[in-house]
Amino acid sequence: MSQINQTLVLGERALREAKRTPDALLPTILIPVFFLVVNVGQAAKIFPSGSTTFLQGQNYAAFQLPSSLLLAASFGASALFLVEEIEGGYFDKLRAAPVSRTSLALGRLLSESVKNIAITTLMLALALPFGIRIASGFLGFILLILMCAGWAVVYSGFLQAIALKTRSAAATNSAGLLFFPLLFLTPNFVPRELLSPPMEFAATLNPVTYVMEGLRSLILQDLNWTAIGLGFAVIIVSATIVIAFNVYTMRNYD
Amino acid sequence: MTFAVEAEGLTKTFESRSGTVEAVRGVDLQVAAGEIFGFLGPNGAGKSTTVRMLTTLSTITSGRARVAGVDVTDEPDEARRKIGVALQEAGLDPRQTGRELLVLQARLFGNSRSQAATRAQELLELVDLLDAADRLIKGYSGGMKRRLDLASALVHEPEVLFLDEPTTGLDPASRLVVWDEVRRINAAGTTVFLTTQYLEEADALCGRLAIIDGGRIVREGTPTALKSELRQRRGLDHDPTLDEVFLDVTGRTRERAAGEVQELQG
Repeated sequence: MSQINQTLVLGERALREAKRTPDALLPTILIPVFFLVVNVGQAAKIFPSGSTTFLQGQNYAAFQLPSSLLLAASFGASALFLVEEIEGGYFDKLRAAPVSRTSLALGRLLSESVKNIAITTLMLALALPFGIRIASGFLGFILLILMCAGWAVVYSGFLQAIALKTRSAAATNSAGLLFFPLLFLTPNFVPRELLSPPMEFAATLNPVTYVMEGLRSLILQDLNWTAIGLGFAVIIVSATIVIAFNVYTMRNYD
Repeated sequence: MTFAVEAEGLTKTFESRSGTVEAVRGVDLQVAAGEIFGFLGPNGAGKSTTVRMLTTLSTITSGRARVAGVDVTDEPDEARRKIGVALQEAGLDPRQTGRELLVLQARLFGNSRSQAATRAQELLELVDLLDAADRLIKGYSGGMKRRLDLASALVHEPEVLFLDEPTTGLDPASRLVVWDEVRRINAAGTTVFLTTQYLEEADALCGRLAIIDGGRIVREGTPTALKSELRQRRGLDHDPTLDEVFLDVTGRTRERAAGEVQELQG
């Protein structure tokens, strides 16, 4: 069986697992929507669409939407399922089969990307009635979904690596919270050039900034290939690092 | 001669905060094809660690191990194709049904979707789980989980089956069912490498056994030979049980065990 087939079989199993645990899926949608509503409620009046140039004619919810999409892509619930699998012994059962360690690492990440495609599509569908438009058109919509799914692979891969190293649900859960400081060190509320110099410096060093700016450009502008390219570049480099680390850890797992 | 399981100087050390722990210290083993081989030892003796090394689940610090003639370090995937593994605490995914688990396992061993479905059906019939096949595993009893675990270790018709304490936690009736399964699997030509803490289980099932203590093999032979050796050496006027052999070779006594309990209570 080829590595691709093994990955697909394991990914299908992880998706089935997600489908059977809707309780784990619900916060992935509700919490990002809650943040969107609260952030827009707090700051929308400060940034009226008519006089705020960085909104490019849309409302403040359109500016805030990428934060919520990134948050939805950063839950990585499958890493917690992996810890359960390690504790319960099923992970050893899989390791005792002639399965490529790369497929073992990628199976769950594949399911996370598919799950995220569904979640992002749902969140965009929920956003449309509130006047949010995807200014970059259908191609932009596809790129937006792919970028979110790519980030889901990156962050789930990071959490999966923590799960493999620590084999602890508490440590994996805590690592998930690391996304919040990363999110707040981005140009979350205003564009980067309007941040104070220390915050602008921190945001410039933060890779999440480039993914957020890529997503934001797809919502607010026509196709801006520089912002899109930077967003995908961050995802590709980060995904390569976390997947390589996952495979290395799987191969040396004792 | 090619042995079903062969280990030479097998060693495993772990690094811990208090220093290096030697879990297995130079184990030599030879298990002939077709045997049911028992691997006994007290808790923490190194049984499970040895099994994990033999089944490619743990790296080997030093020494060599081969299963069905395949070196587990040099060709781990080839070794995995030849062995079936059912570890302590039946390792199953509670969110799948019994059938889904077997189909997945069969597919990971290279079967097509239809071949995997057919094999899953055969195995469900074999372990008498057809009625529960499409229920989630989380609803299975301990005995059903053990039987499913056993079935999942057999999807690819392995040459050597490793069973790590397969009856721990089972009620007497379920234990007898597992024993019958093990005998049937062995009668079909599969070598069985069984670890257990139940000495009557080893006595009932195993043609030959080894006792490990402190990471070293301290006795090896047929149950009959081990008992008769103890009877002669101690000049006993009765046939000793395997329990007495075990207590003798591991240096444990009932009095010492009682003392350990008292210390814990104190």
